[in-house]
Amino acid sequence: MSSEKAAAIVLRAVDFSETSLVITLFTREFGKIGALAKGGRRLKGPFESALDLLALCRIVFLHKTSDTLDLLTEAKLLRRFRPPGKNLLNLYAGYYVAELLDDLTEANDPHPRLFDLADETLAALAAGEPAARRTIRFELGMLQLLGLLPSLDDCAECGNRVPAVGRIAFGLIDGGVLCPACRAGKTGVVSVHAGVLRTMSQLADAEGNAWQRLEIDPRSLGELRGVLNRYLIHLLGKKPKMHEYLGAMSS
Amino acid sequence: MPELTQSVVTLIGEFAKLPGIGRKSAERLTYHVLRVHKNEALALAEAIRAVKENVRYCSACYNLAEEELCDICKDSRRDRDVLCVVEQPRDLIALEQAGVYRGLYHVLLGRIAPLEGINPDQLTIDALVERVRSGRFKEVIMATNPTVEGDGTSLHISNLLGEFPVQITRLARGITTGSVLEFANKEILADAMSGRQKF
Repeated sequence: MSSEKAAAIVLRAVDFSETSLVITLFTREFGKIGALAKGGRRLKGPFESALDLLALCRIVFLHKTSDTLDLLTEAKLLRRFRPPGKNLLNLYAGYYVAELLDDLTEANDPHPRLFDLADETLAALAAGEPAARRTIRFELGMLQLLGLLPSLDDCAECGNRVPAVGRIAFGLIDGGVLCPACRAGKTGVVSVHAGVLRTMSQLADAEGNAWQRLEIDPRSLGELRGVLNRYLIHLLGKKPKMHEYLGAMSS
Repeated sequence: MPELTQSVVTLIGEFAKLPGIGRKSAERLTYHVLRVHKNEALALAEAIRAVKENVRYCSACYNLAEEELCDICKDSRRDRDVLCVVEQPRDLIALEQAGVYRGLYHVLLGRIAPLEGINPDQLTIDALVERVRSGRFKEVIMATNPTVEGDGTSLHISNLLGEFPVQITRLARGITTGSVLEFANKEILADAMSGRQKF
């Protein structure tokens, strides 16, 4: 059992006994961890009310080698997640970031670049940036960093380049676009405009900032949202809880 | 546990279901019940039965009550112009113990926590909106917990109440009285600065 330090985002906090919390954290150095914060609900103590949902903290914890929960010994708040004014959509988008991080990452599997992307996304949402684009950027960036991004240029079945014109078949089960030859007889296929696939590709680019200058018309945004929602539902095997709350983002 | 009787095993099992009570503590409580006078043990059983049979939610504010209305809603001396919205009955008790508020309450019986599967329709928000619509409240105080989910719940409600001619306020937040600025974190200082009052 070693004492470790990490930067962490709080994904879940569940009451445990009178004063303690069971916390799910996404750390930069260790990936997702589950930890017991004894006295975490008290106002005073080593956690200083830092263990609020989506808060960014510096933590110290005892890393257990077995499957049991780690023990959180200290948390210092670096930034609380607090969207400005009466912006419920950005708040729900923040919840959605937490839901995806919790559902799509494995425990003790570090992804520093994904942590940075999540941190950047939460900071932008808290600063009042429009939730629709930021959320899609996070979803696609996350899928790319986790190796789950669907194939957007080459046929997911045969690997041949699919001409980027008109409407293109997108196989939810196959994980990407399908050429006309491979499309035949497939189930779980939707039709997506080539321009939307191009936009997806640009938004997924984890390195560049070109996505910030992208002009996306509301119709394309709606189509992109729709195909991404269906792909994520297929990937997770369930509908994310926050999809219901984020319906307004597709319009 | 072959050496224990079935009744004892059952009682240990029931105690062990209580929050914060492990197997050992459950055994200790069971032995205590076995040791005390029969009347004392049955008084405990009777108290549990009475709570489950008599206690319900107040039909107006959803505080705990033993009649249709709770003591606070029945009290004619309370200020009926002000309504304080809290998450749980225990929050109401904490505010009552402070002894500084004389208005009415509304207990939400939770907070909106979509990630935990708690949606607005599982709380008493509809009843709150109806209460404000048909009442004569001049002020609604949002006293949900100062967490992301608590603030989100307050925001959702304040959006719903926006159409009514009531002033919506929330509890102040910031530096604890008796503490020093030097040791306050930046979030607390930011709260205190943005919520500063006229001197």
